[in-house]
Amino acid sequence: MGDIRQSLLPRDVLSAAKELLYHLDIYICNMVQSGRQPPQVDTKTLDLIEEFILHTPKDRNAPVRRMSALQELQLLEIMCSCFQEQSRDTVRQLMFSALFNLQGNQADESRMALLSKLVSMAVAVGRVPILECAATWLQRTHRVYCVRLAQVLVDDYCSMVPGSGPTLQNIHSASPRFCCQFITAVTTLYDLTSEELTPPLELLQMIVSWIQDDHRLVLITFLNSPLSGSQPLSSLDVTPLGGLIRWCVKAPLAYRRDRKPTSSDGSSDGAPDAARLFSALHLSVLQVFMLLPTILNEKGLFGRLALLQMESVAALTSDLSRLLDQADKHTHAATADAHAASQLALDRLAQALQVAMASGALLCSREDLRAICSRLPHNNLLQLVLSGPVMYYNNIHTPPLAYSPHAAHSPIPSHAAIPTLPAHTPHTPLATHPASHAQYPAQPFMSGMPFPFRPGH
Amino acid sequence: MSVVFDGGSLKGMQSSHSHTAPSALSAQELSQEIKSFISGVDAIQGRKLSVREHARCAVRLLRCVPACRGAVLEHLRGVYDEHVSMFLHNLETEGSSSSGATSNLEDIIQEVHGVLSEFIRLNPRAWAPLVSTWAVDLLGQLSSKHAGRRVAPHSSSLNELLQLWMSCAATRSLMEAYSQCLAAMLAWCPDACVDALLDTSVKHSPHFDWVVAHIGSAFPGTIISRVLACGLKDFCSHGAKDQGLLAEKGSRVPKIGSVVGILGHLAAHHSDSIRKELLRMFQESLIPSTPLSPTSSSSSWEASPQLRRAAVPFLLQLAALSPNLFGAVSSELVELLRPPVLLQLQSLLQGLPREELDNMLGLAVHLISQSPTGGARVLKFLADTATPASVIISGPTPSPNEGVREGCDRLLQMLLLHLHKLVFNRSDAAEAGLVGSASSQPQRVTPFLEELRSHVGQLCAETLRLERKRHLWLHQLLCLLSVYGGPSVATETLCQLLTQARNPEELALAWQLHTTLSSCMAGLIPAAVAHCVAQIHTHTLEPRQLRQLLLNLAAAIQSQDEERKGTAGGQSSMAVQIGLAVSGHLHDFGPLLLHGDPAVSNATVRLLSCSPLPRTSSPAHLLLLSRASVTHFFLALRRRGEARKAGRDMGQTGEAVSCSVLLLSRFAAYSPLTLKAILQQLVEGALHKGNADLFGGQIADMSGAPLASPSVSSDLGASLLDINCRFGTTVNFSGSVWSVFHAGVIGKGLKVRTAANQPDPSGVIQNIQTLLAVLVQCCSSSSLNGSQSPSDPGEPLPINAEAAKVVAVTLVENVCPDVANGELSWPPEEHARTTVERDIHIRRCFEAHPVLFPLLQVVAAGRPALCYCSAVLRGLLATLLSHWEASREASSKDSPWHLQASCLLVSCMGEGQLLPPVLANVHEAFAYLNPFEVRLLLLAVWEYVRGNGPLPQKFVFSPDKGMFCRDFSRDGDVSRYVAPIHSVLHKNIDRLGHLCWRFQL
Repeated sequence: MGDIRQSLLPRDVLSAAKELLYHLDIYICNMVQSGRQPPQVDTKTLDLIEEFILHTPKDRNAPVRRMSALQELQLLEIMCSCFQEQSRDTVRQLMFSALFNLQGNQADESRMALLSKLVSMAVAVGRVPILECAATWLQRTHRVYCVRLAQVLVDDYCSMVPGSGPTLQNIHSASPRFCCQFITAVTTLYDLTSEELTPPLELLQMIVSWIQDDHRLVLITFLNSPLSGSQPLSSLDVTPLGGLIRWCVKAPLAYRRDRKPTSSDGSSDGAPDAARLFSALHLSVLQVFMLLPTILNEKGLFGRLALLQMESVAALTSDLSRLLDQADKHTHAATADAHAASQLALDRLAQALQVAMASGALLCSREDLRAICSRLPHNNLLQLVLSGPVMYYNNIHTPPLAYSPHAAHSPIPSHAAIPTLPAHTPHTPLATHPASHAQYPAQPFMSGMPFPFRPGH
Repeated sequence: MSVVFDGGSLKGMQSSHSHTAPSALSAQELSQEIKSFISGVDAIQGRKLSVREHARCAVRLLRCVPACRGAVLEHLRGVYDEHVSMFLHNLETEGSSSSGATSNLEDIIQEVHGVLSEFIRLNPRAWAPLVSTWAVDLLGQLSSKHAGRRVAPHSSSLNELLQLWMSCAATRSLMEAYSQCLAAMLAWCPDACVDALLDTSVKHSPHFDWVVAHIGSAFPGTIISRVLACGLKDFCSHGAKDQGLLAEKGSRVPKIGSVVGILGHLAAHHSDSIRKELLRMFQESLIPSTPLSPTSSSSSWEASPQLRRAAVPFLLQLAALSPNLFGAVSSELVELLRPPVLLQLQSLLQGLPREELDNMLGLAVHLISQSPTGGARVLKFLADTATPASVIISGPTPSPNEGVREGCDRLLQMLLLHLHKLVFNRSDAAEAGLVGSASSQPQRVTPFLEELRSHVGQLCAETLRLERKRHLWLHQLLCLLSVYGGPSVATETLCQLLTQARNPEELALAWQLHTTLSSCMAGLIPAAVAHCVAQIHTHTLEPRQLRQLLLNLAAAIQSQDEERKGTAGGQSSMAVQIGLAVSGHLHDFGPLLLHGDPAVSNATVRLLSCSPLPRTSSPAHLLLLSRASVTHFFLALRRRGEARKAGRDMGQTGEAVSCSVLLLSRFAAYSPLTLKAILQQLVEGALHKGNADLFGGQIADMSGAPLASPSVSSDLGASLLDINCRFGTTVNFSGSVWSVFHAGVIGKGLKVRTAANQPDPSGVIQNIQTLLAVLVQCCSSSSLNGSQSPSDPGEPLPINAEAAKVVAVTLVENVCPDVANGELSWPPEEHARTTVERDIHIRRCFEAHPVLFPLLQVVAAGRPALCYCSAVLRGLLATLLSHWEASREASSKDSPWHLQASCLLVSCMGEGQLLPPVLANVHEAFAYLNPFEVRLLLLAVWEYVRGNGPLPQKFVFSPDKGMFCRDFSRDGDVSRYVAPIHSVLHKNIDRLGHLCWRFQL
C-alpha cells in the first residue's frame, strides 16, 4: 500500500484523494478476506491518508497542498457514495476507522473537520451507512471529540441554516443508533451551565419528540453493545440518561436564570415552551427507567450494571446546590416564582433518584444518597426518597412503586413501601405511618400510562 | 421578479424556495443536487447548467446542505466575479451589447444577497463572521483584479472608485452584506471583523481603500477604535524593537501602515472622532490596570498590561507616520498632560527598557520638530515641566515629580540638539550663497520652528525672565530660530530683546545672541535698529516699551564708552555698531523728544545725547532735530520746575535737563547750520510767551507790555475800534493815541499793571543758569573757528563770535520787530524821539523778560556780536534816559528796575567793548546818584557811542586771547566824554570817593 505514494504525488489533490480512497477500499477488502486478526490498518496507510486526504504536511519543506472548498465537497460526495456502495459492514467500518479514528497527532484537526462535514452531509442526504459508522465512532472516541461532532451538527442544522431542522429530525428513522449517540453527545455538551451551553429550543423539541416517539431509542446503544463492558476510557456514557436527568433537573433553574435579563419582553416566548418540553422529557426519562428492570433482567444484569453512575449523580447534586445557592443570593426576597422553580428542580431530582434506584439503574445505598444530597435545601419529596427503605427488586413482575396523584399533598411517602416487604419499614423514620401503605395497594404501573405531572405545588 | 421570465426546469423549485422550501427536497433530490452542483451538469437531463442555473443550484444547497457552505460560497465568488466582469465590460462597450446578461446575473446576486442577509438576520453569531470574512476577501480580490480595467478610475481617486463599485450590483451587495455583518458583530466580537478588514486592506491596498473608506464612514466610531485596537495589537505582537527606525517604515509594520491609511481616509469627515479616540487610547493606557474593575469599553486591549505599555509607543509611531493624525492630536495632548497624568506616564514608561525609551524619545523629538501647530504650547509645557522647582519662582502648576522633570529636561535638551542639527545642516546646504541670498533658496522646512517664528516676542519675554535653566534653553532656541528664520527673524528677535530687556543682565542676553549670530549673519544690528525704528514709526510700541527700547539702546552705546575705558571686549564692536546704526536713524528718534510721555522723551534725549552723530545728514533732518531738541530742552526745564514745585525727586528731571543740555551742546558743535539753528531757537524759545515764565518773564502782548489778566482788562471798556470811530477817519494821530494806549485810556486812569507773579525765584534763577549754560556751551564749543582746545581745561572756552552774533541777531529780531532805524551807528540823542514807540516796546520787553540781560551778557562776551544789538541797546538807553530825565525821585534807588537796567546795560556794553573801560565802569556809581546825575552819565555813554559807532569792523582778532578785541586807542579821545563823569564824581565825592580810581584814564 505504501508504494503508491509515488504515483499519488504528482496528481492533483482531488484525484490523489480519490485514488487513495479507491486503493484503501481494495486494501481493506483484501485484509478482511484474508481474515487477519485483528483487522488492523497499518501505519503506512494511515500516513498516506493523512497526507493525501487530510493534507497534513509530512515535513516542513513539502508544500502545503490544500483543497478548495469545492474540491472538498467533491471528495465528500465521493466518500458518501463510496460508503454507500460498500456492501460489507466490516469493510465499511474498517475504512471509516482508518479514515477517522483519532491518532492523537496533528492531523486530528483536519480529520475532525472532514468528519464533521461528512456526517453533516450524510445527515442531509440520508446516507445511513455513514451514520451507522459514525455511531460506532461516537461510541469509541473520547467524549471531547464526540461533543465537537455533535456541536457541528447542532450548529449546522439548528442554528446556521434556518428550516433545516427537519433534516436532522430524520436521523431518528435513518439510524437510531446514531440518533441515540447523538443525544448522548448533545446532553454531554449542553450541561446548562451557561447560555452557550443551553440547548437550542429546536434541538430540545427534536430530542423530546424522538424519545416520546420511542422510549427504547435512548437505550439502543446499550441494547446493541456487547456485554463485555469494555468501554473505552472517557468515551460517552452508554445511555444519555444521566445527561437527560441533568437537563430536566437543572432546567427550571437554568431557564429562569437565562430569562432574567430579558424578563420584560422575552418571558413569553422560549421559557414556557421549554418548561413544557422539559417536563415532557422528564416524564419520558422516567418512563425509560421503567423499561429498565425488564431489560436488565433479560440480560441478567439487574443490580450489577449501573447505567446511572453514582459520580454523575453526585456532580448533579453539587451543581444543583450551587445553583440554588446562587439563586438565593441573587434574589434575597425569593419570589414565589423562584421558590417554585427550585422546588420543581428538587422534585424532579427526587423522582428521578427514586425511579432510578427502583429500576436498578442507580446502585447505591440511601446513606450514600443522603451524603450526596445533604447540602440540598429542604424538599418534602426528596426527604421522603432519602429516608425511604432501600429496595431492590428482583422480581420484575412486582411493580416497584406506587404513584399517587395525591402524593405531594399527603404526608404519606409517595414511594410507599410495598406491604410485601414489611421488614424494611423499621428503617424509615416515618414509621408512624405504616398504615398508610395499605391505602395504596400494589397498583401496577403501566408503561405508557399518563404520568401525573405536577409542575409545582 | 425576474424569475418569472426565466422559464426553465428550475423555475418551480426556485420560486418555492423562499422560506421553508428545503423540506420539499428529499435526501435523494439533494444528493442529485449536490452532484449537479459539483459537475455543473444537470444530473437528470444531462445538460450543462448555465451560470444562473448553477448559481441557483448553489443557493439551494446553501439552504439545505450545511456541509456545502464553504463550497457554495467559493462558487459564488466566481459568480460575483463574472458579474463584475460583465458589468465592466458593458461599461467599456457603453452598454451596447449584452445588457440583458448583466441583469440576469443581477437577479441571482439579489437572490444570494437575500439569502445571506436572511441568514445573518436570523443567526448573526454563526453567519456574520463567515460572511464578513468571505465578503471582505472577495471584495479585495475583485477590486484588485479589476483595478487595471480601462473604466476603473485610478486608485487614488477614491470617490470615483467608490461610485463605480457602488453602482455595480455585485460589489454593492457584498458591501451591504459586510455592513450587515459588521453591525451584528460589533456587539460581541468587533476585533475579528476589523482584523479581517485590515488584513485584506493590507493585501489589496490601495485598490481596497474604497471599501475601508465606505465602511469607515458607515461605522466611524467603532471602526476607528477597532482599527486602533487592532493596530495596537499588531504593533505589540510585532514587537516594538525596531520602532525607532523610521526609514524602513514602509516595509516593516504592514498593519500600522493600513491603520494610518484608513484613519487618513476617515480624517476628512471624522477627524473629531479620530482625535477623541486617539486621546482616549492615550488616557486609558495610562490608567493603572485594575483587573477587578474592567473598563466600560468592550475592547480588550485595556486589560493587557503589555498592550497598555505599548499604547504610547504605538501612538507615537502612528503620529510619526501620519502628519494628519498627529496634527489632530498634538494640540489637545498638551492640555491633557497634567501632573497626575505625567506621573502615570512616568510609571508606565519606567518599565520599558532603556533602548526603547531612547527610541521613543527620538521619535517624540522628531514629532515635535515636525509639528506644524501648537509648537509654542508644547514648548511652554516642556519648559514649565522641566524647570526645576524653585523656592522663589513658583509656577502656575504644582511642580511635578522630579523624575518627570528630568524626563522633560532630557526631552527638551534632545529637542534642542535635534533642532540644532536640523538648522545647521540646513544652512550647510545653503552654504553656497551668502547669508543674505540664502533665504531665496528653497530650504528644508522645520514646522516647529516655522510656527515659533510668530511667537518670537513671547519667547523673548520668557527668556528675559531669567528663570534658572529656562532662559538658557529658550535662549538657545532663539538662536536656532534666528539662524533658521534668517535675517528677518534674527532682527525681530534682537529687536524684541532690546525692547523688552529691563536691566543690564537681561540686555546681556541680547549681546549673547548677537555674539552667536554675528558669525553667520552680517548687518544684523543695523537691521535690528532699522526694525526698531520701523516699529516706532508704526506706533506699535507702548510708551513703556518705547522708553525701554530707547534706554536699552542708550545703555548699549554707553557701554561702548565704558569698554573704551576698560578692556576692550567683544561687546565693544557691537556697541560701536549700535552707535553707528542709531546715528543713522537720529532723525527718526528726533520726534520722540516731543513724545507725550515724559519718560519716553527723557529716554530719547538720553539716547540722543550719547549716540554719536552721523557723518553726514541732510539739512532738513538737522533742522528738525534741532528744533525738537530745543523744544525738549524747554520742556525739560518746565518739568524740572514742576517736579520741584511738587516736591518730587528731581533726579530724573534733572538728568533729563542735563542730557538735554549735553545733546544741545553736542549738536550745536556738529555743524554751523545746527549751531545757528539751535541758538536761534533757544533764544526765540526763551522769549516765547509760552516759555517766558520759566525765566521769570511775563507774558507780553504785541506791544511788549505785560498783559493784564482778562478779568482786569475787561472793565477797561475801550477798544481801538471805538476810538477810531470817535476820531473819524483821520489817521494822523501823531503818536499820541498810541501813547495813550500804552499807559491807559484817557479818562480811565493808568492801565492796571498786573502784579508780577514770581512764584519761584530760585527756579527762575536755575532755569536762567541752565539756559545760559547751554548757550555758552553751544557758543563756545562751536566748530566755527576750528577746534581750539583750550590750554587749560578748567578755563571755559571763549565764546565764539559768530555764535554770539547769531544770538544777537535773533535777540534783536525778537525784541525789536521794527527794522526802521536799524542801522548800527547811533544818532544824536535828540533823534531818539522819532523812535519812542519802538523804544518803549524794547524797554517793556526787557521788563517782561529778565532773561534778556543775561542773554545780552552772553552776546557781549562774544565780541563783537554786541554791535548787532545796537538798535536794542539804543532803544533801551533812550527810554532809560527819558526815565531818568523825567524822574523826580531823590535817589536813583527809588526806581529799582531802571537802576538795574541801566547798570546791566552799561556793564554789557562795557563787556562787549562798545565802551571803553572808563565809561563802562560808570554803572558802579549809579546806585549812589540821583536820577539826573544818572541821566548825565548815561548821556555821556550815548555820546560816546554816537561818536565811536559800534561797528564790528573795529574789532580785530587777537590770536593769543582767542577772541576779538577792540583797540580803543584807535578811536578818538575819550576824555571829552569822561568830563561829565568827573563832574559827577566831584559833586558826590563824599559818596563816590572809593570809585574815583575806576574813572582814571
